[in-house]
Amino acid sequence: MIKAVMVMNTQGKTRLAKFYEYLPVEKQQELIRGIFAVLCSRAENVSNFIDAESIFGPDSRLVYKHFATLYFVFVFDSSENELAVLDLIQVFVETLDKCFQNVCELDIVFNYSKVHTILDEMIFGGQVVETSSSEIMKAVEEISKSFLYPFLLCLSKKTC
Amino acid sequence: MTMHGMRGLSVFISDVRNCQNKDQERLRIDKELGNVRNRFKNEKGLTPYEKKKYVWKMLYIYMLGYDVDFGHMKAVSLISAPKYPEKQVGYIVTSCLLNENHDFLRLAINTVRNDIIGRNETFQCLALTMVGNIGGREFAESLAPDVQKLLLSSSCRPLVRKKAALCLLRLYRKNPDIVNVDGWADRMAQLLDERDLGVLTSSMSLLVALVSNNHEAYWSCLPKCVKILERLARNQDVPQEYTYYGIPSPWLQVKTMRVLQYFPTIEDPYTRRTLFEVLQRILMGTDVVKNVNKNNASHAVLFEALALVMHLDAEKEMMSQCVALLGKFIAVREPNIRYLGLENMTRMLMVTDVQEIIKRHQAQIITSLKDPDVSIRRRALDLLYGMCDVTNAKDIVEELLQYLSSADFTMREELSLKAAILAEKFAPDLSWYVDVILQLIDKAGDFISDDIWFRVVQFVTNNDDLQTYAAAKVKEYLDKPAVHETMVKVSAYILGEYSHLLARRPGCSPKEIFSLLHEKLPTVSTTTIPILLSAYAKILMHIHPPDQELQSQIWAIFNKYESCIDAEIQQRAVEYLALCQRGAPLMDILAEMPKFPERKSSLIKRAEYSEADTAEQSAIKLRSQQQTSNALVVTDQHPANGATSPISVGELSLVKVPSMITSENDTSTDLSQQNGALSNVDTQPPSADLLSDILGPLAIEGPPGATVQSEHNAISGLEGGSDAVDGSAIVPVEEQTNTVQPIGNVAERFHALCLKDSGVLYEDPYIQIGIKAEWRGHHGRLVLFLGNKNTAPVVSVQAIILTPAHLKMELSLVPDTIPPRAQVQCPLEVVNLRPSRDVAVLDFSYKFGTNMVNVKLRLPAVLNKFLQPIQVTAEEFFSQWRSLSGPPLKLQEVVRGVKPMPLPEMANLLNSFRIMICPGLDPNPNNLVASTTFYSESMRAILCLVRIETDPADRTQLRMTLASGDPTLTFELKEFIKEQLISIPTAPREAAPAPAAAQPTPQIPPNDPAAILAGLLS
Repeated sequence: MIKAVMVMNTQGKTRLAKFYEYLPVEKQQELIRGIFAVLCSRAENVSNFIDAESIFGPDSRLVYKHFATLYFVFVFDSSENELAVLDLIQVFVETLDKCFQNVCELDIVFNYSKVHTILDEMIFGGQVVETSSSEIMKAVEEISKSFLYPFLLCLSKKTC
Repeated sequence: MTMHGMRGLSVFISDVRNCQNKDQERLRIDKELGNVRNRFKNEKGLTPYEKKKYVWKMLYIYMLGYDVDFGHMKAVSLISAPKYPEKQVGYIVTSCLLNENHDFLRLAINTVRNDIIGRNETFQCLALTMVGNIGGREFAESLAPDVQKLLLSSSCRPLVRKKAALCLLRLYRKNPDIVNVDGWADRMAQLLDERDLGVLTSSMSLLVALVSNNHEAYWSCLPKCVKILERLARNQDVPQEYTYYGIPSPWLQVKTMRVLQYFPTIEDPYTRRTLFEVLQRILMGTDVVKNVNKNNASHAVLFEALALVMHLDAEKEMMSQCVALLGKFIAVREPNIRYLGLENMTRMLMVTDVQEIIKRHQAQIITSLKDPDVSIRRRALDLLYGMCDVTNAKDIVEELLQYLSSADFTMREELSLKAAILAEKFAPDLSWYVDVILQLIDKAGDFISDDIWFRVVQFVTNNDDLQTYAAAKVKEYLDKPAVHETMVKVSAYILGEYSHLLARRPGCSPKEIFSLLHEKLPTVSTTTIPILLSAYAKILMHIHPPDQELQSQIWAIFNKYESCIDAEIQQRAVEYLALCQRGAPLMDILAEMPKFPERKSSLIKRAEYSEADTAEQSAIKLRSQQQTSNALVVTDQHPANGATSPISVGELSLVKVPSMITSENDTSTDLSQQNGALSNVDTQPPSADLLSDILGPLAIEGPPGATVQSEHNAISGLEGGSDAVDGSAIVPVEEQTNTVQPIGNVAERFHALCLKDSGVLYEDPYIQIGIKAEWRGHHGRLVLFLGNKNTAPVVSVQAIILTPAHLKMELSLVPDTIPPRAQVQCPLEVVNLRPSRDVAVLDFSYKFGTNMVNVKLRLPAVLNKFLQPIQVTAEEFFSQWRSLSGPPLKLQEVVRGVKPMPLPEMANLLNSFRIMICPGLDPNPNNLVASTTFYSESMRAILCLVRIETDPADRTQLRMTLASGDPTLTFELKEFIKEQLISIPTAPREAAPAPAAAQPTPQIPPNDPAAILAGLLS
């Protein structure tokens, strides 16, 4: 099961945090800080894994991917395959990219509701629900069609 | 999009982004929270658009880490909004902000149900998503049947059905007792015929959960899974959108192989052959390519295939093929693949005997120890540790030693412990073992626990041919300019005993040895001085003819320490001086230490993984087998050593080891006392084997096991050296109990869990018990996570809670069997009735193979969990403080022997126990004032006030005053805080002082077994 999805920037600011098991907000922040402290000390061209048990407790693993100014972090347990989760990060980012055309940090900051929508189409209650970024986009667009006004805005103009 | 066109929201986000620092940010956010709160108050004028905007703001603020403790009702109410944008924010924000037990959720159940059974697919999806993300009990009760219907409905689109599958999975995982899955095997088999890969992926996840719980019911799904895997691996009929970097849905492939790993074996020859062909194709057809994403995807599949091959215990040939592949992986450029290669090799070591093939890659693995990535270095260390045996121990341990100097600080402790264990376990010869440990102490003395150097002393004492060597070796180290204190200890002990063997060598006259040791004295702590004094006394005894000058020098030292404030040092000084002055009796009492009874090292016991060791024996093992009988004879020849012992030596009882339990003058006893003081574990009952039982608290759960387990150790230990152990291995007459040793320090884990709410409570080679707790007022909800780490089931699982009288605890049903690699969750409800420091105990047992394991573990449902920090104003504080005027509501005590710590550290310590420091209330900067509320069923919330006055000139004492409206609470909390201040946090708590029972804790009947047990443990 995927326990948490986090996006934070290289300054340690949270850009998205979704926990699939309820945690009080202080605990969430503590974990995010703990993870950031490890991530920011890691060089480029190393593996995408860090030891999560010291931060998240037993039976937890962590993969992350670093894109420009953002870290995408997924925490999960041993019932998931590490590389498959890493692929999932890639799918997530590719989908964001399709949605925002060259996604940048600001897109995520100002459109976090949309990011939540995309994430919900991909991960559901800690399980992968859809892995095809075109299917995810289809679902998101379908939603937006029924509410043309707001999403038209979204697709036509980026407001960074 | 500007958040669905919400300008106000964008402006707010920009404002927050433009804040220069955290303070500014907080100001801006507080302002916004105030604004939102106000707007919510006058609900009438609020348009749906505004509501939506404010709720999104709440989520944004929450994400930034601020607690949003209002407006939840607004979020929930948006769920019933008629339009999508409002409904969506309602659902999303509710699932982020509320936990499954939140009362407001109940209010939304009807709306959620209407959305699920309604016709609007978008609404169906929103509702399913929230239910799946939260997964509460009441949702399960009222919605599970509807969700099941959606999943099976042919009229539903895949978009909805895949969510229904996962929603059902979540409800089932969280509430297995409510969601009925009887008879689901046929439905699952039917779902596996699904063509839509989205639905199939979700169904496969659901199947994993069902099969992991009960594979027997789902045999009919097995051939279908193999078929799906075959279809994907051959890339037949896989739509383009599910092909990821050219790989047909790696996720579905991985999930399918996960399902297959929950079946113990595959009987049907056709299915088995098909599967092996597919696996073969995956193993052979995967190459490392340039594209990183493609690599990740293809190797995700490949590593899962490897896991499946290992699980199926394939033919030897396929196994060696796997090892060869892994060998290739650990040398590739791609760091992720190197990492997983090492991890999988380690896993492989555990399940099959491929050690020999893995050894061929030793050089490469050692190279990985120097990998730039610390994650990879850790995996390499684990693997080296796992693959080490007599044949390669020398190489591996020497590599570890070499690496130690350059290793990151965070890894050194683990590294040195592993090196020490390997050195002992597989030493080809004993002098090498001594070398290794001395090097470890030299390079990483801070990380060398006492048990490691005790063990060296034990070996040197028991092996005559080692003594000269060891003495010469430690002398070399002492000659170095900077010497670690642990090195001083071990050197002093060994030189005291054996330096006379070196007397003819240059620079090794008694005088020179003495001054070498003595120049270290000013640099060491009070725990080392007693060992030095013993060494001086022993050196003095060995000089023939007596050296007057040296004698007077040493006497002067004893003289000086006769008035030392440290009782241990003082006693030794007085006694040694008296003995020396008497002359002849000195000879007997200070004679060479007798051999230690041979027994298994607790260090190794700690580390031992179900080790069915081979014909190859390490030198230490062989030695110990030859020696047991010797040891007893030798000790018997020195009755003088035990002459003053109250225990008759002549009986030669195996348990009462002669001369070990002897007069205080004997250095061995001194050593034990001193170490008792050192590690602050006085609760240990005295035990036969000093050196290794001192380690008791390190190796096993200190207090609970202390009596039971040390007896047990005594027996198994005595057998350890003889053939008895081997014999019993061949003739397994009865089940062995507790031959399994925990991994990590159980006591430390307990103490860590007293401060935090999730973590590992216990771990051994088979089982891991994790805990996650939530505390609210006097209620607590703990979830025990029982994880089976192996590929065979763990059976006869039993968990009994020994509840102290002040708690009410209810453990949900614990299954009798935990399937391979599965984890079961057992919720445990706790209600605090009244204040007490007693501790609840989990009596946990299981069977793995022929091992019957039983452990008693303290549960972190301790006093401080029922505290809630509260900030009080000066007025509130002082009016309360004055109204609680004296005993028994207000108690004061001067506490001595406090662990010296700076004031901020003490403040942090209190805060960590949820006793909140109120800065500024006490004008004296050396004082701390704190407040907290205690929750119990009998009294609800009670305010507790604490004042601690410290003396900057003497940090080891302080005055503490406690006040609350309840005498028991005041007393218990005072004792609790005292315990935290005087003990080292990692050591087991001080023995509950006997008077405590006589003090006002009258609610606990003295004959309550749980209370007695808990009293024993605390």
